[in-house]
Amino acid sequence: MFFWIKTASHFLLRSWRSTGLITVMVVSAVSSLIFLSSLAMGVNDTMIKNAVSLFSGHISGINIPENITEKEFLTHGVAGVLKRIYTPGFLYHGDSMEMVRLISVNPDKEIQFTAMAKKIIKGRYLEAHKNEIILSQTTAERLNSQPGDHIRFSTGKNSADVELIVAGIYKTGIDQFDRGVSFCTMGVIPVRSMPWQAAIFLDNGVNKDLIAANYRQRKTEGMDFKTWSDLMPDLEQLISLNYLSMGIVIIMVFMVVSFGIACAFSIFILRDIREYGIMKVMGITPMETAFLIFSEVIIINLLASSMGVMMGTAAVLLFQNIGINLSAYTSHNQYFIVSGVIFPRLTPFSIWLPPASALLFSIPAALWPTLFVIKKSPADILRSI
Amino acid sequence: MIKVTRLSKSYHSGRGERQVLCNVSLYVAPGGTLAVMGKSGSGKTTLLNCIGGLEQPDIGRINCLGVDLHTLSRRELSSFQRKKMGFIFQSANLLSYLTVFENIAFPLVLNHLEKEKRVAELLEKVGLPGAGSAMPHELSGGETQRIAFARAIAHRPEMLLADEPTANLDTETGQTLVEWMFTMCKEEGCAIILSTHDFDLMTLSDKTITLLDGKIIHENDNKKN
Repeated sequence: MFFWIKTASHFLLRSWRSTGLITVMVVSAVSSLIFLSSLAMGVNDTMIKNAVSLFSGHISGINIPENITEKEFLTHGVAGVLKRIYTPGFLYHGDSMEMVRLISVNPDKEIQFTAMAKKIIKGRYLEAHKNEIILSQTTAERLNSQPGDHIRFSTGKNSADVELIVAGIYKTGIDQFDRGVSFCTMGVIPVRSMPWQAAIFLDNGVNKDLIAANYRQRKTEGMDFKTWSDLMPDLEQLISLNYLSMGIVIIMVFMVVSFGIACAFSIFILRDIREYGIMKVMGITPMETAFLIFSEVIIINLLASSMGVMMGTAAVLLFQNIGINLSAYTSHNQYFIVSGVIFPRLTPFSIWLPPASALLFSIPAALWPTLFVIKKSPADILRSI
Repeated sequence: MIKVTRLSKSYHSGRGERQVLCNVSLYVAPGGTLAVMGKSGSGKTTLLNCIGGLEQPDIGRINCLGVDLHTLSRRELSSFQRKKMGFIFQSANLLSYLTVFENIAFPLVLNHLEKEKRVAELLEKVGLPGAGSAMPHELSGGETQRIAFARAIAHRPEMLLADEPTANLDTETGQTLVEWMFTMCKEEGCAIILSTHDFDLMTLSDKTITLLDGKIIHENDNKKN
């Protein structure tokens, strides 16, 4: 067996031009597919990250009683819990009035975990312990208000108006935030026994469903926990669609590439038919012929696939750090609202599938020329060259 | 002993059926030599291919060294060829990706025989002692055929089939090569069937047959004459 592997290696090494060409083909196919599948993962990651980091977090806690604190949700895998209190009411500025849901937030924590501060288009984001409010661009236009203006908020339930200073004006591009919602500093609006809402942010790679299930086990009446996929089924679908379309693209690309690899292997084997003919004359058996040819195919594949995995991985690792900025193509897409920079991500699937497929396709590709060589009589082979 | 009885072979092509060998019978004694003469297309190569088991005759029987070739399976035929036969062709002889050493050692490895000493001995005998590490493309035509001959007899076969081995060589080189072949095969006890155009070479063999359109038209026992 060692003799045939050694002979196969000699064949490959000493016909280095064609070996090199086929190696380049397999290397580029494997590395491109690794990069492509990692890019697909990166696109999905970016969409999820954008969707959760703008405001809602990976899990949203709803109607949490006042006696439960944020600390109680800080379990393993949870990066942060943001407390928010929703107060419906009216904003007044001069003669203008606008109905809003005013969300009281802790500015320092919000800046740490969410991207709302990056969406300020005029003025600045909220600061802690100040009677400040930020308005959406639409609300600001309706109230005819600018940063620095003093506006009033009233819940309309015989309570006193609260005077707030407009710190800034934001625009997210998402209706849910750009219409009927404003944000103010926590503690500015006097509230009594109001349940609060939680935005729970998880560490990378933590399973949101497991954490949410864990929270649900200890929920009290009215309290609920929803993951981002519960709240954004459209995003969930979009990600599934992205996986599906990327899968189809990868399969199609691989079919084309595999066809190329198959043809190259056939040519590669048939090019040496003279050599196999001479060896057959010397009495090598069909089994030995097949072993020799398959040794060549497997050696070249293992070598080229390993190089392809290394190159693909290196390219992913490079762009994993610097990212690929696709902002120009994503600026109007709500799931790229925070950032259009894609960071490709390697998965075990994206690492092993391309080389495994290369091997899988090259073996049947080698089958036909092998059978051709085995079946053809040595006299016919030598006569044909 | 090689015995061919009533061998016929035809090829089918676009131009119809062509009879290449017709009712050919011959006998070569153990260690004997036979020269097959004839013009191009007379059926020399096909006869040698059939005797070597490289192609199947349509009719007839070939008995090589006591074995009827048609009774052998493909695997048994391969085993028979690797142990008992050696081949040399007009061209396309050496494995181009293997060195001279590896080429000569190839049949030895196939037969699990000692290679280092035998290859060195053969290289010495064919007058190319330092050529072991050379690649086939670095050799001249004459040197290539000498190495092909060394490889053909490396495993000490009992019969050597040489199909116009001198066709691509100049007369002097060809003559020297064939003289070597005959001398060395005699030393090793190996029978030779040689096809050639060259009438000068036929005098070296024990017997000569001449083919014309696949039929033996002349048979000569050089020993008797």
